[in-house]
Amino acid sequence: MVRLITHNLLACHVKGCTSNNFPLEFKDVQLVPHESWGILRYRTKLPRCLDDDFLKTLHHVLLEIHVEEGIMICPNCKHNYPISNGIPNMLLAEHEIG
Amino acid sequence: MPAFLFVFAQSHSEFRLPELESVAELHGFAISVPPDCDTSRPFMVLNLESEEHVRVLASRCILIKHVYEFYAQGGNYDELHVANKASSHMWSSYVHDTPFKFAVTAYNHKISESRQRNIVESFSYMGFLGKIDMKNPQIILGCFEEYDSATGLREDRDGKFRQVYFGRLVVDGSARALIKMFDVKKRLYYGNTSMESEVSLLMANQALASPSRLIYDPFCGTGSMAYRSPTAYFGAQVFGSDIDGRQMRGKGGKDKPPGVLRAAKQYGVADRIVDLCTFDVTRNPWRCGSLFDAIITDPPYGVRAGAKRLGRKKELSDKKKAANIEHQISARNTQQPYVPPTKPYELSLLAADLVVLARYLLKPNGRLVFFLPTVNEQYEEVDIQSMLCDGMVLVANSLQDFGSWGRRLVTIRKTTHESYPPPSFEEEHPSDHVPAHKDFREQYFRGFKKESEVQ
Repeated sequence: MVRLITHNLLACHVKGCTSNNFPLEFKDVQLVPHESWGILRYRTKLPRCLDDDFLKTLHHVLLEIHVEEGIMICPNCKHNYPISNGIPNMLLAEHEIG
Repeated sequence: MPAFLFVFAQSHSEFRLPELESVAELHGFAISVPPDCDTSRPFMVLNLESEEHVRVLASRCILIKHVYEFYAQGGNYDELHVANKASSHMWSSYVHDTPFKFAVTAYNHKISESRQRNIVESFSYMGFLGKIDMKNPQIILGCFEEYDSATGLREDRDGKFRQVYFGRLVVDGSARALIKMFDVKKRLYYGNTSMESEVSLLMANQALASPSRLIYDPFCGTGSMAYRSPTAYFGAQVFGSDIDGRQMRGKGGKDKPPGVLRAAKQYGVADRIVDLCTFDVTRNPWRCGSLFDAIITDPPYGVRAGAKRLGRKKELSDKKKAANIEHQISARNTQQPYVPPTKPYELSLLAADLVVLARYLLKPNGRLVFFLPTVNEQYEEVDIQSMLCDGMVLVANSLQDFGSWGRRLVTIRKTTHESYPPPSFEEEHPSDHVPAHKDFREQYFRGFKKESEVQ
């Protein structure tokens, strides 16, 4: 699924890649549900008080929006982590574990 | 505090107390267990603050069959009746007109009907005036004889019980029904290492699974532990990872949802599975620690499936290594999905690493719950003690006995509030102690004989 809450917990872990390795950039993603990007754009700042509407939106963003297919790219070392069938492949290649 | 008679299921005796204590902790109360309490016996008299606590325990503890308000016990019926008369203030209010029923049973024995009748009649001094109602009694009075063993002739054994208990039924254990509900055979998706339901329910209780708690399984495989499963059923949100993504996906290809999710849907818990990831836990992408309330896992111990970590069994020569790396980099984009080389992950190293990893990833007071196979003859307590590190304290350690080997369900709590750096997973461990679970796979296939005996 790769919900956004998961995306928020994953960083690039290639050996030596320790700065600017988070957040991973999404590329070529298939999002479920598709129309969700709008919400991500218009809610950029945390409001002062957390009202029910906001919490619902937050829940929607973190837990209901998920990525089925696509790639996550490290902004620093450009490693590609493919997402297939909703399961991200975070395995490293032999030369990346040092 | 009122006393209650707990009647436990006969299996998993070592799990009885840890389970009670965990469920009590989850609901914010404590149970005081007398120091001389013998947990191998299926009857236990415990003092609890209220009947409400009893109901909580009975609704969640898998091993509770019934709980009775405790009236009396004795080595023979004379002792029992004396004690019961002394407790008359507890039952006198039912004397007048309460429809009631007697249940007389025994552990390790079967009491003949005629003797059952005699036993019931021996309680006639209680003078119950209400109707005897076998179908809809308002109260059930239970009398239990406890025999030490079921060996020998029934006639010889009859009446030579160790202890007899008497009380009024408060509540039947309702959690036992979950064992059937989570039966592996009824699942839409399972694998050859899926764990039987009773044990996975026990694990969920040890992990204090409940709503709003985040639980992680680093060797999730087909997900029997975390996903389809009791843990999510009890309301926890679950993450899973495994070095091999194939088990999580199952058959069905691109168009079908992963097998784990299909099974989770069956139990209505699909939305409690936060995510599944493929990675080697020794090279994990978690960007910070103190994330999870519990880590719950059944690490592969090599008999049906072996643990793996990234790396090679034999290091390549420098020249080959360079050529290999060049090949990997150039081929990277066309050769999807990439499958890196793996090497076996020896169980005692894995177990020790798991504790250090848990200290990093758990929140303070979080719990690590996992199964460790061990050779019974060689097991020593220090095997578990030597795995611990600063800030990690053993809560429970119960054996599921299979004869020459067994599985220990180990529960460890993170007591420290300090934050630790992510573990390095170096292969060397400073401890000189060789635990009984080291090279478990090799020992298993040797039939648990010493190496010298085999030759």
